[in-house]
Order: sequence, then structure tokens, then C-alpha cells
Amino acid sequence: MKIMTCPINGPRPVSEFFYWGEIRPMPDPDTCSDDVWADYVFNRNGAPGVKKEWWCHIASNTWFVAERDTAKDWVLRTYLIGDES
Amino acid sequence: MIRLPPVPGEWIDRSTVVPFTFEGKTYQGYAGDTISSALLGAGEKVLGRSFKYHRARGVLSLANHDVNAVCQWGDRPNVRADVTQLQANMNLTAVNTFGGLDSDKARILGTFARFMPVGFYYKAFHSKLLFPLWERMFRGMTGLGKVSFDTPHIRTPKRYDFCDVLVIGAGASGLVAALTAAEQGAEVTLIDENNRAGGSGGYALGAEASRMEQMTEQLNKVLAHPRIRLLTNTYAAGYYTDHWIALVCSDVLIKMRAKSVVVATGGYEQPAVFRNNDLPGIMLASAAQRLLYRYAVRPMQRAVVLTANQDGYRAALDLSAQGVEVVAVVDLRPDHLDGEPEQRVIALGIRVLSGYRIIEALPGAKGKSVAGARVGNGKSESETLPCDGIVMSVGWAPAANLLYQAGTRMRYTQSLEQFVPDILPPGVFACGRVNGVHTLSARRLDGQRAGSAAAAHAGFGDIREIVIPAETECPTHPWPIVAHPQGKNFVDFDEDLQLKDFENAVQEGFDNIELLKRFSTVGMGPSQGKHSNMNALRILAKLTGKEPQEVGTTTSRPFFHPVPMSLLGGRGFSPERRTPMHSRHTAFGAEWMMAGVWQRPEYYRRAGKDRLQCIQDEAVAVRQNVGLIDVGTLGKLEVIGPQAAELLERVYISNYANLKVGMTRYAVMCDESGVVVDDGVVGRLAEDHFYFTTTTSGAATIYRELSRLNTMWQLDCGIVNHTGSFAAVNLAGPQSRALLSRLTPLDLSAAAFPYLALREGVVAGIPARLMRVGFVGEWGYEIHVPANQGCAIWDALIAAGKEFDLRPFGVEAQRLLRLEKGHIIIGQDTDGLTNPFDVGLEWALKMNKPFFIGQRSLRVIDRQTRKQKLVGFILDAQFNSSVPQECHLVIDRGEIAGRVTSIAWSATLGCHIGLAFVRPELAEANTTINIRLTDRTTVSAKIARTPFYDPDNLKQKEPA
Amino acid sequence: MPWRLLRFATAKKHPEPRMFTTHSTLKPTYDVVVIGGGGHGLAAAYYLGRDHGITNVAVLEKGYIGGGNTGRNTTIIRSNYLTPEGVKFYDESVNLWKDLSQEFDLNLFYANRGHFTLAHSDSALRTMRWRAEVNKHYGVDSEVVGPDFVKKSVPMIDLSCGGHAPILGALYHAPGSVARHDAVAWGYGRGADQRGAEIHQQTEVLSIDIKGGKVCGVQTSRGYIATNKVLCAVAGFTPRILDMVDLKTPIYIHPLQAMVSEPLKPWLDPILVSGSLHIYVSQSARGELVMGASLDPYELHSTRSTLDFTEGLSAHMLDMFPFLSHVKVMRQWAGMADMTPDFAPVMGKTPIEGFYLDAGWGTWGFKATPVSGKTMAHTVATDKPHPLIHGFSLDRFRNYSLTGEKGAASVGH
Repeated sequence: MKIMTCPINGPRPVSEFFYWGEIRPMPDPDTCSDDVWADYVFNRNGAPGVKKEWWCHIASNTWFVAERDTAKDWVLRTYLIGDES
Repeated sequence: MIRLPPVPGEWIDRSTVVPFTFEGKTYQGYAGDTISSALLGAGEKVLGRSFKYHRARGVLSLANHDVNAVCQWGDRPNVRADVTQLQANMNLTAVNTFGGLDSDKARILGTFARFMPVGFYYKAFHSKLLFPLWERMFRGMTGLGKVSFDTPHIRTPKRYDFCDVLVIGAGASGLVAALTAAEQGAEVTLIDENNRAGGSGGYALGAEASRMEQMTEQLNKVLAHPRIRLLTNTYAAGYYTDHWIALVCSDVLIKMRAKSVVVATGGYEQPAVFRNNDLPGIMLASAAQRLLYRYAVRPMQRAVVLTANQDGYRAALDLSAQGVEVVAVVDLRPDHLDGEPEQRVIALGIRVLSGYRIIEALPGAKGKSVAGARVGNGKSESETLPCDGIVMSVGWAPAANLLYQAGTRMRYTQSLEQFVPDILPPGVFACGRVNGVHTLSARRLDGQRAGSAAAAHAGFGDIREIVIPAETECPTHPWPIVAHPQGKNFVDFDEDLQLKDFENAVQEGFDNIELLKRFSTVGMGPSQGKHSNMNALRILAKLTGKEPQEVGTTTSRPFFHPVPMSLLGGRGFSPERRTPMHSRHTAFGAEWMMAGVWQRPEYYRRAGKDRLQCIQDEAVAVRQNVGLIDVGTLGKLEVIGPQAAELLERVYISNYANLKVGMTRYAVMCDESGVVVDDGVVGRLAEDHFYFTTTTSGAATIYRELSRLNTMWQLDCGIVNHTGSFAAVNLAGPQSRALLSRLTPLDLSAAAFPYLALREGVVAGIPARLMRVGFVGEWGYEIHVPANQGCAIWDALIAAGKEFDLRPFGVEAQRLLRLEKGHIIIGQDTDGLTNPFDVGLEWALKMNKPFFIGQRSLRVIDRQTRKQKLVGFILDAQFNSSVPQECHLVIDRGEIAGRVTSIAWSATLGCHIGLAFVRPELAEANTTINIRLTDRTTVSAKIARTPFYDPDNLKQKEPA
Repeated sequence: MPWRLLRFATAKKHPEPRMFTTHSTLKPTYDVVVIGGGGHGLAAAYYLGRDHGITNVAVLEKGYIGGGNTGRNTTIIRSNYLTPEGVKFYDESVNLWKDLSQEFDLNLFYANRGHFTLAHSDSALRTMRWRAEVNKHYGVDSEVVGPDFVKKSVPMIDLSCGGHAPILGALYHAPGSVARHDAVAWGYGRGADQRGAEIHQQTEVLSIDIKGGKVCGVQTSRGYIATNKVLCAVAGFTPRILDMVDLKTPIYIHPLQAMVSEPLKPWLDPILVSGSLHIYVSQSARGELVMGASLDPYELHSTRSTLDFTEGLSAHMLDMFPFLSHVKVMRQWAGMADMTPDFAPVMGKTPIEGFYLDAGWGTWGFKATPVSGKTMAHTVATDKPHPLIHGFSLDRFRNYSLTGEKGAASVGH
């Protein structure tokens, strides 16, 4: 089974984690057009590549960012939000 | 005698005789025998019938791909005779015969083979009328063993295991790899699928005892090494991401996490393809050698050895040493190295026919044995060699299944005529035959190299540079295939595919390896192509004028050998959650229902009352006196901190910043697209402290999502999940206040504790949070206490409730009560596309807030024409025929105009009441709608305002 | 024995011609280029020829025909969907399926087995009634049945499912069927080929040439093709192609896994689905139990297998059929599913003139093969979306008018 490294709890089997999806910046709801908003709500960057994703270690409820190659399922790195650099 | 005198190193225990029956006949074998070796030892050659033509078949590999020698053993289907240990009193039959193995009626299919070329079933039998009949017939003919419906549910625990280096295969290279890795300091697990380790070192001897002695010496070192664990009878069923290997060890599944993996799985010896190459008595050389040395069974009296490498000469020497007359060694190669084993063969006076091939095997009576081999060299006249067995040693295919699964890129090497690893993934290593190294001494060196590298990868020692000498001969023949006008030259023994079938498939356009596989079914049988894929690939390459490299291989998938479902299923965990008061409900006669993962009382059984009556009685008790329901399954969250209100403002559609301390407010949550996803009640304990509930099914996901949002927004507040740490009950009914006043010093007057207020206090000596809620439409209190006080509060309320006729009620009564009050249930009165406008939640929707999730989408939706509206409806009080059910459709002028989401008989109101989605034009009060029942009749209903019960909410006010 | 088999026995040479012509080169121009040689793409090419007389068509397949999700799915065919759009669309598909073997003169092993969606909770039962009522409204044979009916049809089932997920009822859909998936691709491929379409295997699309918002050509691994119409039918790879034309959609990819047992003598006739236990299972004509569960939990563009899939599915299978303890799982595999937010496909025209989309096939694509081919052929030929696919347009995500099939497809078989 795939191993995912939780920034708090270390390497754990991926079944202990919840995948949310790619982190996508929200457009300003007050100024953006309806189309831009609908694009944010529904559309996804579906092509494979290295993506920044939200993951959660379920047991400890730790949310963090994983940079993952979605074609190869390689996790390049994981970190708590704000600890990017 | 077929059983040889004792052979050094034999696996059988001659002191334990094992009786068994096969096809109704009684036999005896020895402990340590497999079913196949015992049957052969007892003189049987025919072990099964083939899949399609029902030809008699015997041993082919004795290595877990003899798919034609498959038995039914009691309730166990598809027991592989070649590797299954013989057990006392086994009662075995061959699978897939019609009237028994000996006189299988379906053998007649062999004579119709000409009618049944590859893919014949795609070309006929598809008349619409007759196909169902044909399909039934086909299904009866296909399939192997039978399932017995009496088989119990077998639950087996699984094991989790860890090691530094996992070595798969304990043959020549695997033993050395394990030793080398362990010597470098790694903890090593070495596995082998056989009963005993040693691999071909125990049987491919060329009549040289030294080979076995060397193997034994290595094995003893392995056994003595403190850092090596040897697991025999264990196969690696699949390689999964991050070196997670499924090991099947007799009757347990071990999930092994390794730091590095050495694949030393060897090779599959490959059959030659010639007419009648499937007759019982024709087998791979390695199978014959296994029979000789493991089971002391002489597989034949007079053998013809077909070969293309030194392994075949060694097999001839082994046969000869064990008393088999080797009629001739037929070597496919016209020119070849005059190797040492060949010289010994010649010295024994055995004929060597170089550049010859077997044109066909001649069948004995009824095709149940071999009578001879017709051989030729294409120049001179062919010759028939009488024999009762043919042994094939024409080459190897790498047992690379796990390597492929790990993502190894393989390349075809002309000098070896086999695929070898080209680029291995990190942490995966290969050695021995699977790595294209065949000479025994070189295999050991290769094991050293791989073991050292694997240990180094796991952090132990340095990689030792070892040069592996090149092979002196090509161990595999590139074309061990002989065409014959009459066919029956089998390529795939599982599926009964002949050479001609491949030619025909390619002719029809199935000329790449994947299409060929799918059309011909080559490699799709239970052995998954272990003996057929390589020859199929060679044939396809030749037919399309390509190199094997260009043809490529099909994808290797788990499992390496099939794995019983009981091992995969394990013990079968089905976790469920129970509230702290579970035992109380049971004692009270709860009828349970699942609510997500929770067990909840649906209602409480009463003697002499049916389900509906019990539910109605419970509801009436709440309306008239007082009822008590366990609501501890609700999600219970707290948010604390200066920005706690801000968090709630952003995630719920109503205002919470202006919620007064000590008050609660209904809370609805939407997703980004404006769809209603959850609801609950938010209570304010302090300026910076909120306690709130979610739906039962939403608890975990809402908590998780709020945590994510809070992580993203970095608000100055924290969220705590109290779902499991609090118990909760709802005490509801006109008498609830009187009852509660007996247990708490709190001032329960309407002024001090008004509707929707939240108080902290002590109930029955237990610290509690109390909320005056009105979900069921009566004066009532939701009381939340620490989970370990759940039973205490329940018991106290029950005891104090005696004089008030307190009655516990279940989920069904609550559903009815809330329906009378017109309250929706998320997930029942809403669906995956419902927005707040659809269900009349405009009153809760604060579009003028700066932001909440879903708000921006709801702005767009608000401008659109409404498509549906949730409304109340009632049936005529006199209505007395079939009652509509939830999800019956509302029909307007023949078209679907909505659906019922909730409906129930209300004793209080004296009629059926319900909620339904209808088109907006039907939503006006008093409009008549038509509900269509399952039997296509329609029922008229009238749109009615909600709440049906107590529309002015007088029940929440102090009686005048 | 059918007389047709006689010709095999009597012919000197195997009497079957090639099913698909090999074309050594691409033509410089085609009227329509279909990207994707799966069932859907080949069906579209077939109906373009049969119904619209458009035969200058190239089907470009980067691997081999039927090698994607067509050859990886569990072959279940049904029309008991939840939305009117879904029910009408899949009902037309079932109607086409029924005649396909005759139309192709190729036995697709289209076997009518009946289909049960089991309910283990009252909320599941409610959704099933909803489906049944919508189905019947559009003439689709579908009804809610009780546990007794299930037991009568599948007597060996453990109705309590190990005691923790009792079967409360089921949605029974008599027309539910299975078919030999590969043969469907071959049948459409042969039919398209016979009508003049060219099938180019091992031909990968590298880019799509768009000028002024219009399609004008396709760059492939074997050269450039000029064309004004491109149909994208590459479920599992849709986002990769859409990236080439800079078209945003909600489609995201999750793997969907499946497994088969060793062959067994027939014992299970109908198709069984349980959303709560995450099971769908049928027994193939070869005797193998073909089993699936639910989508993998995270995005991945790979067909790797996981052990936990086989563990979970086996455990649940044994809850329902405890007597399968000794039955062995032979092989597992995976496909990549184009998922959409509402579990309905994305079909029709796009903002790019001449670029048509047949995508978002999630876990429900195989059963739609005939109707998607037919309606997409119509859409491409006339440049107007076929009436049956209005509910599946890409626009719906701009207009918040989704087609809510989630309830019928959450374990979508």
C-alpha cells in the first residue's frame, strides 16, 4: 500500500488519509463574473501532473498539503500549510 | 515399480502411508506427496481433462500451473493437484468432466475441433431466439470446479510484517542473495512457494550429487543465520506500491512491508509445440526431475528428451540415473556447444539427434498415453522412437510477474532469447534466471550482487561490484514450435489453443499481442499464461514479421497464483457505532436500524402491538405527555476563539455573529455550488465559544471539512469534535418541563429559559448543556452530557419520568413528529441537487452577509427560474386505500411534476400528511396534485401549508 | 450445432477475412477524425457511415482498439437510471444492444440476466423506489422488490449479509444484461471498417490544430491530418486531450478496479449490485465471477492495482456469499474513469467549432456504447446535439443545471 507522510505523524499507509483534491485559488466572489465563478465551482484541472493537494490524516485530523505527481502517484513532499518553503 | 527406491533428499515420508480416493478409486500415497505425485506414483497418468476438447492430460509442470490437473476436493473447487499436499482420506474428482475422467462424454468435442477454430463462438449461436439456450449450454461446458453452498464463512486473521530485505524465491540465487544481504546487516525474509527451499538445486542435478550438496550447504547457512527468516510454502501473490507485498502462507495472508525486494523467482520452463504435445506422459524436464528427486516417482520407463540447452542433457542424465531408459536426446539445435553434460550423455551410449525435432507424439490407447515420438530433421526420412514419455527442455521464460507489477521495464535479449529487466524501479532487484542468468555458478554470483545491492538500498553496507559472466550458450530456443497439418499442437494448455488458432486469429486482424490475447484467450486461463505467453509471443512475432521486443508482452497483474477469498477477506471487519445508552435501548425492546455507521432504535417493541402501532403510540406519547429520544448520534462540535463566530458565518447560510450568548439558531450548510448538504443547531456559550450539532451522517465529514477550511483561512479559533465524547437526549412533550424540574435546579420558566435558549447546568447531578429545541414541535430540551454519564442521565430521566408516563421513542416516531411540524430531513427531503430556495429556506438565507460557502452560486441560482418547490400536502381524512410511499411521483398531465419525499399517517391530525417536491406552478396551497402509486393508480392530495401541527408555534410559549 | 460452423470444418483455409483493414499511411485529410478507438469512438464511426453516409473517417487509437475502458469494465448493461434524461438515453441504448449481435453478425454474448440493486437501508430503498417510478414512467422495466423476491432469484444469498447489513429489498431491473466487451469494439470496428472508415491503431494524437476557434487539423505520431471535425472519445484520458485545446471541464480521473475469480460451474445468473457493501458481481460465460467495488479514493492517472481493493471486496463478497471462502481470485486490474460532479456524461458540442466531446463516462460508459455512438454521430454529422443528449451538455455546469445521476450511479453498475 502507498505510503503518505503526514507532517505531524510521519509515514503512514494511505488508507489512513482522506484526499480532498487540488488546492485551487478562489476568485473574488464579489468582483468575478458568473462564468469565472462557475469555472471555479465545477471545473477541474483534470490532466495529470504535479499538483498541490489537500490531504488529511484522519485519525489525528491533520490537514496538510501534498505535492503529488498524479500520473505516477509519487508524493514529492508534504507540509503543513504555511510551511511551504 | 514406479516409485523409486529411496532417493537422497526426497520429500516424501515413506513411513506415513496416506490413503485417498480419486474419481472413486482408492489410492495410497505418502506424506509429502502432492496429489499429482501420489497419482503418478500409483501408476495413473491421466489426471484431468482439457478445457475445450476434453483431451486426457497429465503432469505438465508440477509447478502450480498444471491447470488440467485440477480437482474438486469436497467443497473446494479448483484444487491444483500438482502442488496441493496430499492429505489422508481426500476424496477427489477431476473437474469439468461429463461422466467422469475415464470416459468423459465431452471428449467427443475433440473430434469436432475442426468446427471450433479460434473464436468460433463469436461467429454463430447468436440467433436472438436461441442464444439464451446456447448460453446456458456454453456456461455448463465452461467453468471448472463447483462451489458448494454449504461451505462455511471462513474467517482468517491476517498478519502485518516488516523486513529490510525481502527475497522472493529460495533457489540458487535467492539463497545467496539472502545470505549476502544478511551478512551486510539487513534483517532478511526469504520466501519460497515450495515445501522446501533450494529450488532447482534439489532436482536439476544432471546426476551430480554435488549440486544438491552445494544447495544444502547454502541452505544450512541460511537456516543458521540469525538475521534470516525463511518462510516456505509461501508465495508472493502480488507486488504493490511502496514494497507492499502480499504473501500467501498456507492459510494466512501476510502483508509484508519491505525496504527493498529481491526477485529471485526463476523461470518457467517452456513447453515445445508439436502435434499431441499434450498427451499424458509428455512433460517439462523440470517436472520430470521434480518427480524423480522430490517424490521418488519415475515418470516414465522409456523417455525421449527434447532439448535445446544443457538443462535437457542434465534431465536426460537424471532420468537415466534413476532407471529410465532414455531412447534419445532430440536437440533442436544443429550446431551447439559440446557441453559437459552432453559428453556424459554420449558416454552413456544415449543417442543424440542434433538438428532434429519432434514432429508429433504418437498417442497410446484412447489418447491416454504416449506410444512414441516421430522425429525428423527436415532432410532425411522421419523416424519413430517408441517411448512412453517425452521430456521437454527447450527454454525458459522469466517468472517476471512481480517485476512487471513493480513497474520494471523489460527488454528482449537476443543472446538469451528471453526478456530481462532493463530498468528496475528503486528498491527492486532481480537475480538468477528471471534476470537472464542461467548457469548455476553465475546464478550464485548474481544473487550476491543483488543481495548486496538490496541491503545497501535498505541502508546496510555498501554495494559490492560483482561481474556476472556471460552465458556460454543460449538457454532458450527461439522457435520450439513445429507446425502440423493436423494440428493438436498446443500452445496454451489451459485454453486448448493450437498453433493454427494463432494463425487464424492473426488472419482475422488480431495481430497485436493484446488483441490476440483477447480474441484467442491465450494466457487468460487460471495459469495466466505461465507456459503459453512466451510461445504465443514468438508465434505472433513470426506471423507479423516482427522481433519479440516489438511485439511486447501483455500486462502482468496480480495475482501470481490465485488467492482464496477467505484469505483476502480475512476476519471481515464491519465496525458500527453505538451510543452510550445502547444497553438501555436493548433492555427496552429497541428494534435497531442503521443510521450511517450508527445503530439507532427505530422504535421500541411492545407486546401485542405491530411496528406501526408502536411508532404511532410513541408519537402520541410525545404529543400528550413526554417522550425521550437518544440523539447522541448527532455530530457535536465546538468552536472556540475570537474568530469562532466568523468561522460559522462563513460556513452556514444564516447569521451567527449576532447570536446572543445563551441562544441557539438553526444552521444550514451548503456546498460551493449552493446545494444543501447539512443542518444542525448552533448555540452560543460565550462570545468566543459555540457548541453546535450536525446531522448524524454528516458528523465526520463536516468536522473534517470545517477543520480544512479553518486551516486554510487561518482564523483565530479551534474546532473540537465532541461527537463521541458527549451523549445527548431530547426530552420532549408538554410534561418535559415538569419532569426536568425534578432533576435540575435550573430556572425552567419561559422567561429564564426561553425557546431556543441554551443553558449550562446540572441535571441529576450531572453537568449538562441544555437547549430548548422544537424539532418535534413540543416544549422540550436537548440535554448533552459527557458520554460516560449517558446512562446515568437516561436512567435518571426514566426514573423521574415514571409519574409523567414518560416513553422512550425511536427514529420513526421522531420522523413523524417533525413531519407534523414541517421540518425537513436533509438527505430525505433534499437530494444531491437541492438548493435552499427549493426547500423554502429563504428565511434562513442571509444573502447580505459578506461571504458564506455557496453564496456566490446561490446569487446566480436566485436569478434563474425556480424548477421545483418542497411543499406540504395532505390526503383526504377519509382516504382509505393504498397510501403513497416516499418517492412516488407527482404526475401532472402525464408528465413527472415532482415526487413525495416524506409521508406518514398523523394520528394527531387525523390524516396522512407529507412533503413533496412539485413544480412551482403546483405549489400554491389547496392545489390538487396527483400522486402515482406503484400500481399506476393515482391518489389526489391537496397542497397544505406547513407546519401541519401547531402552525403558530404556541407549544413553545408559556401557556396563558 | 449451427450449420455455420460447417464452413470451418469444410474450408481448406480458415474462411474468415480480416476484421479490420490495416492502413499503412494516414490520408492527408478526413471529414471526421475520431480520437479514441474504444467502443464509443468505433461506434460513432460506424453510425457516421451507417446513418449519415460519412465514410471519410479516421479513428485514431494510441494503443489497440478496445484496449481502454472498453476492455476493462465489468460489462453490465442496464437502463434503470434516476433522471429522465438518463433513463431515456440508456433505454435507447438497451434497445440498440438487443439487436447488435444480429446487426454485426458477430456474437457479442449479449446475455439477459436480470439486475438487482440491493438496498440495505431505508434511504436506499427510497432512492430505489424513485428510480423504479421514473423508469416505469419511461417504459423501462424496473421495480422495487422485497427480500423474498431476492431470495427466490438468488437462493444461496445470505440476506443478512453477515448480520450487519441486512437486505431490506432491491431494485429489480429485468432487462439488465452482460456482454462480451471486447467483441463490442470488434463489431463496431469491423462495421466501421466495412463502411470505409479507417482505423489507425498505435497512432497517438500529439496536438489539435485550432485556428480562429475552429478545428482545422490533428497532429499525430504518424503525421498531420487536416480535418474540420474532431470527436474526442477517450474516457480516462479526456483531460489530456482537452488540455491540448485549452477546454476546461469538471472531468477528473479516478481509477476503478475490478477482479475475477477462477472459472466455476455456473451458479449465479443475475447481476447483483450493493451500494452499501460496495459490490457488483456477475458470473461470466466463462464461469468467472466478475467483481467490482467503488472508485479509488483519490485522483490517479494509472491503472495500478491495490491489495486493499481485493481485501475489501472479498470481505464483502463473503458477507453476501459466505460459501465462496475457498474460491480463488485469479486476477485484478484497473481502468481510469472520467468522473463528473453529477455522475452523468458530458456529450455534444463545445465552444470550439468542430470539436465534439463524448466524455465523462465515469463508471457508466460501456452500457452507453451504442447510444453514444449513435447520438454523437448525429451530433457530429448535423452539428446539432441529438435530442437524447441535451441533458448532458457541457453548458450545464455553467448554468447550474446538473443532471443528478449520483443517486443511481454511486456504485454505478
